[in-house]
Amino acid sequence: MSQIVQLTILGILLGGVYAVMATGLTMVYGVMGIINLAHAGFMVIGAYISFEMFSRWGVDPFVSILVTGPALFVIGVVTYRLLFAPITENPRFGEMTVLVSFGLALVIEGLLGAGFTNIYHRSDVSYGTATWDLGAIFIPQGQVYGFAASLVMLGLLWAFLYLTKTGYAIRATMQNRSAAQIVGVNVDRVSTIAFGIGVGTAGAAGSLLSYLFTFFPGAHWQWIALLLSLIVVGGLGSMGGALVGGIGLAIVAAYVTDIFGPTWSQMTFYVALFIVLLVRPQGLFGKPLPA
Amino acid sequence: MALLEIDDVRAGYGSGPDILNGVTIRIDEGRSACIVGPNGAGKSTTLKAVAGLVKVRSGEIRFDGDRIDGLRPDEILRRGVCFVPQDRSLFPDMTVRENLAMAGYSISSKGELQRRIDEALEMFPILAERRTQRARTMSGGQQQMLALARAWILRPRLLLVDEPTMGLAPQVVQEVFAVIQRFRDTGMSVMLVEHNVKEGLGCADWGYVLDLGRNGFDGPSESILANPSVRELYLGKSVARHTEKIL
Repeated sequence: MSQIVQLTILGILLGGVYAVMATGLTMVYGVMGIINLAHAGFMVIGAYISFEMFSRWGVDPFVSILVTGPALFVIGVVTYRLLFAPITENPRFGEMTVLVSFGLALVIEGLLGAGFTNIYHRSDVSYGTATWDLGAIFIPQGQVYGFAASLVMLGLLWAFLYLTKTGYAIRATMQNRSAAQIVGVNVDRVSTIAFGIGVGTAGAAGSLLSYLFTFFPGAHWQWIALLLSLIVVGGLGSMGGALVGGIGLAIVAAYVTDIFGPTWSQMTFYVALFIVLLVRPQGLFGKPLPA
Repeated sequence: MALLEIDDVRAGYGSGPDILNGVTIRIDEGRSACIVGPNGAGKSTTLKAVAGLVKVRSGEIRFDGDRIDGLRPDEILRRGVCFVPQDRSLFPDMTVRENLAMAGYSISSKGELQRRIDEALEMFPILAERRTQRARTMSGGQQQMLALARAWILRPRLLLVDEPTMGLAPQVVQEVFAVIQRFRDTGMSVMLVEHNVKEGLGCADWGYVLDLGRNGFDGPSESILANPSVRELYLGKSVARHTEKIL
């Protein structure tokens, strides 16, 4: 029994972090139809910034979110204006974004490799391996903090999307882009902001990544694969789906790890992806697909 | 004084061929026009070009004397041109109330927006009853009313309406035309695309017949249907037979 509680707790804690990693990705898809394969690349940039701040000046990864979030927001805005805005009118925009963001991910990986080499890193924070022991159950402190920070970030994002005018415009554009234009939303501006926020959340998630996992320049490939399968399971463009998908799959992965060993943990996401695509192709919370 | 001047406009989608091959239309302030023509004539594309949703490749569109082709859709809306597309373009997961509030996106005064929403709910009682219902769960007629209510909140000088009665029950069709007539009574100019030729022209002062992206014939609304050669030539034989039956 305690094992079940233990695994479920671990899954939930990790799932919250996955959710914050995936939210920006699914939002960017929802608003603009961009499948940003460089999303995890931006996350790794955030992780490096956070790691450098920690190892040079002892800045805690949570404090570094105040830098990684805004910095990556700015990088996101510039990236959107330079690479994506010029091709929005193209009828093959969706396909082009896959290629552009794939190229971008390679560039990010190359630049990080040149700057930081390919050595594995992890911010060695004091709470990284500390636990609270409740009888037979142990709760890793670092993951609890990471989960709490993820909830705060998701809460802030929710407040922004539901309580501000720009947030309303972003949601409206996600639901119906042409309708948003018709009621006077400058979708070009909204897209720029949404892309910035998407990349900003990736940066902030990078701060959590920096102490929860080891990372290196090429680490983004495994992350983007996991995040993409997660948002497809949740429903492309659905932020609620990213949260439910993130937590749900992380719990299942925790059980898989326990039963079959950590090697199989990643498989969980892809098996879930295959099952969802076969049974419910629009994902758990996605819009019905056109016939 | 012309409110809208479409001058020899060519336009099309993406890198595809021209759909409009030189369309010229003029609407005076407070007057209304109905565009009719067979499928593929470029009726919807004309409205979209005015609304800024389709790029104008050559020619000019002027609103109140100023060029608006090349402006963004939100800039065109701010000048007083509102578009109600054929698919109604609502926000499916937002409630009726939220959809109306989104219509006021360009209205900065909260008090003014609230006043207009209340007024719209009064004008469309069916929407007042369903104000907390999500748009996706409403019937086609109710959705059309919501789309028109949204336009009413925006108080445009020119309203572009694309096939508002498509797929609606006959009784609802009459309600939709009654609403458009109410808009006209306030002095709003309306440019209507309507397959229901007789009713559509009945809602307008002037009729334009488009064919293959070009102007075919135009004149006072009543003269369009009265002219048998126009019926035959531009509305197609089947439509001509159909209109004969309903006239």
